[in-house]
Amino acid sequence: MKELSARQLYFYFLCIAPVGKLILMPAQLVSGAKNDLLFPALLHMLLSAGAVFCVMLAARAEKPLPELLSAAFGRIGAAAILFLFAAFFLFAAVFPLTEQMLLVQSVYYDTLPSILSFLPFFLFSAYFCARPFAENGRIFDLLAPLSALGFLGLMVLAVPSADFSALLPAGAAGGNGFLLAACESALWFFDPALLLLFAGRFRYRSGMAWKTAAFSLLGSAAVLFFLAVFYGIFSDLALRQTFAFAKVSKYFSAITVLGRIDYLFLCLLTLVMAFYAALPLQACCACLHGGTNGKLPRPAAACAVNAAALALLLLTRFRYAALQEWLMHKLFWIFPLFGVLLPALTLLLRRPRRAR
Amino acid sequence: MNKITGTLRRDEAELKRLLPAEDVLTFPFRGQDGREFLLVFADPVTDKELLGEQVIRPLGDYGGGMSAKEVAECLTSPEIKQLSRVSDLAAEILAGNPVLLWEGADAGLACGTKKVFARAVAEPPTDVTVKGPREGFVEDVKINCALVRKRLKTCELRLHTVQIGRRSKTAVTVCYLDGISDMAVVKQVKRILRRIDIDVLPDSSYLIHFLSPKPHSLVKRVGTTEKPDIFCAKIAEGRVGILADGSPIALTVPYLLAEDFQSAEDYFVPAARATFTRLLRLFALLTAIYLPAFYIAAQLYKLQLFPVKLLLTIMGSIQGIPLSPSLEMLLVLLVLEVLNEASIRMPKYVGMALSVVGALVLGETAVRAGFVSTPAIIIIAFSGIGLYAVPNLIEATSVVRLLMLLVAGSTGPYGIILFTAFLLCFLCRCESFGTSVLAPFSPLIARDLKDSLVKYELSALGMRPRALNSKNKRRMAP
Repeated sequence: MKELSARQLYFYFLCIAPVGKLILMPAQLVSGAKNDLLFPALLHMLLSAGAVFCVMLAARAEKPLPELLSAAFGRIGAAAILFLFAAFFLFAAVFPLTEQMLLVQSVYYDTLPSILSFLPFFLFSAYFCARPFAENGRIFDLLAPLSALGFLGLMVLAVPSADFSALLPAGAAGGNGFLLAACESALWFFDPALLLLFAGRFRYRSGMAWKTAAFSLLGSAAVLFFLAVFYGIFSDLALRQTFAFAKVSKYFSAITVLGRIDYLFLCLLTLVMAFYAALPLQACCACLHGGTNGKLPRPAAACAVNAAALALLLLTRFRYAALQEWLMHKLFWIFPLFGVLLPALTLLLRRPRRAR
Repeated sequence: MNKITGTLRRDEAELKRLLPAEDVLTFPFRGQDGREFLLVFADPVTDKELLGEQVIRPLGDYGGGMSAKEVAECLTSPEIKQLSRVSDLAAEILAGNPVLLWEGADAGLACGTKKVFARAVAEPPTDVTVKGPREGFVEDVKINCALVRKRLKTCELRLHTVQIGRRSKTAVTVCYLDGISDMAVVKQVKRILRRIDIDVLPDSSYLIHFLSPKPHSLVKRVGTTEKPDIFCAKIAEGRVGILADGSPIALTVPYLLAEDFQSAEDYFVPAARATFTRLLRLFALLTAIYLPAFYIAAQLYKLQLFPVKLLLTIMGSIQGIPLSPSLEMLLVLLVLEVLNEASIRMPKYVGMALSVVGALVLGETAVRAGFVSTPAIIIIAFSGIGLYAVPNLIEATSVVRLLMLLVAGSTGPYGIILFTAFLLCFLCRCESFGTSVLAPFSPLIARDLKDSLVKYELSALGMRPRALNSKNKRRMAP
């Protein structure tokens, strides 16, 4: 219970992290890169895999992040960095929460429901956040097959409708389109930062760094495949297809007879997404708990963080377009900085002696 | 004062003072040379025929030494205990073991001639199998131990008995295989049992409360069975078993949730059939929990979940129903639960009448009167049957179904998903004696999956489950 296994980390990168990128990111990529949507995504994925590799190497010391930071910057410096990361995680959680709320309201309800229908998420999230980060391993074990089943099910229903030639000719969007799409999609890539919180909670074994990076790339390959199918189905209309994963399967021929059987798979993926959306909030709690040297109890941190996230969500719920604009065009740099670069730089930290 | 004095009258008086009940009798008699003996026994629980044969008759001809050891050697009872404290002797009398005293005795002798009140070993009503052994545990712990010993003829089988209950003095036996069970679990079980301070222990289910770290939790942490073959198989896997006198239900720890999806019969039929049945049980359970909830959520929030033709049929049925879908479903569920409870408690001969009243009068008339719709009745009926596909989990699953129904009615499909997420999160935390109840799925133990929801051929099950942390890993030669 106190330790994660390598397998659980691989499961996270292979089956859980990709799920968070299936809601609004595909349409957003199309808005910048059109049929070249795979390339900016690939860039982020390669950068993320590189950062994952670096974080895993830094995790060889088998010390949790607060201790790694304390050894390099002293206790006060470490606390400051942890609070900074806590703020980043809270900030990073807002968009996944918003997109999940919009998804839920649009996919699971015939008429737009009250925001109350989404509020139970924060009850679940508060419970989830109050648990130690290392306990997530068991949840990853359970979620991985559910996620794989949901994804494969959707793909089986969607692939027959896809025309992959729509992706050609490659490079039509040009450098500007590529850059625009890369900037706009940056906010979906902060998994290496989450991985930082797992440091010291698993036994590092030889080869784990490249294996984790490889599993991260495999998960990314699944997302790329999804993007290709998505564009193959909707082509030029893809730009308007928000909540991509809920739409790719609805053209399956048997649905008229059997009903929306794809909802079975959608439910499975939404279940996994609920955990994925709560993870940054849990990471925020872990940072606050570590930054205060354990003086802020986890349940208190969980309540505070979820209350803050709820407040942010309520504040921005009628300003979704402005929030999107603000995040994607003004503050997009925060995500590569905190989500990829800084985690990768932990490799350079002075490592405390490994405890055996 | 508590030690016996050797003066027969004084010791008799002391025992009488401790045991003033009218069913505690004394029987004075003399030996061959006129020496006086006294038997003190609790009349209803003593086998007097055996007492006469094994104690009184040998002493009638006895003329040897009068030390406790010498007298004990003359008796033909195989269970003789030498005790010198009057309170210990009183406890033995109450347990059904008569106490023998004599003038000048340095200790009393408790003779094991207890009368055993036990029904015959029969097939347990809650655990019926078509193929396989039909013996079930009974209410006597000694017979139960014998049933276990009959199946595990090994010196590694350890039986450790403790007395629990200040007044009931119930014998509770811990069974495990030395060298196979995790000794940490054995020690923990023994420690918990030693610490129990309760007045009366009427049944082994009381022990579950003490063995569970969170007794109020919906998820059980202790496995139960009424069949000695299952009990022995579990012990042989590395679990620790607990038998309580007066209860036919044996307990096993650590408990895994997957256990309740298995049945004894799975091991007597081809592996493919066993796998199919286990998956069927899982399907039935999931459908029983989720079907009513999704039906309500679809009706209230997302009609698109129904195929068009089904939607038209449902719309036709629910037209004119005065209750909201959630209320309607809750009402039908409540009726089902009441019928269920009543049919279990009701005398058998009224059972048929109850079925008629339940099925025809309540069900059909309610539909005809337009109080409830036919789909609601069908769904709840299927749900009711589905839950009993995994009967050992019924206490938890019926509550989960009700909660799921409430959540679906108030927050719709997303509420169901979130509640499921919460349940998964909660289940991941639940442990039974250091083992996750969700093992071998979480944490994933690939080797143990061979006998979880799927069942491999016996030849593939050469190793004991890793989740149980058994010292001896291999149970079958490769």
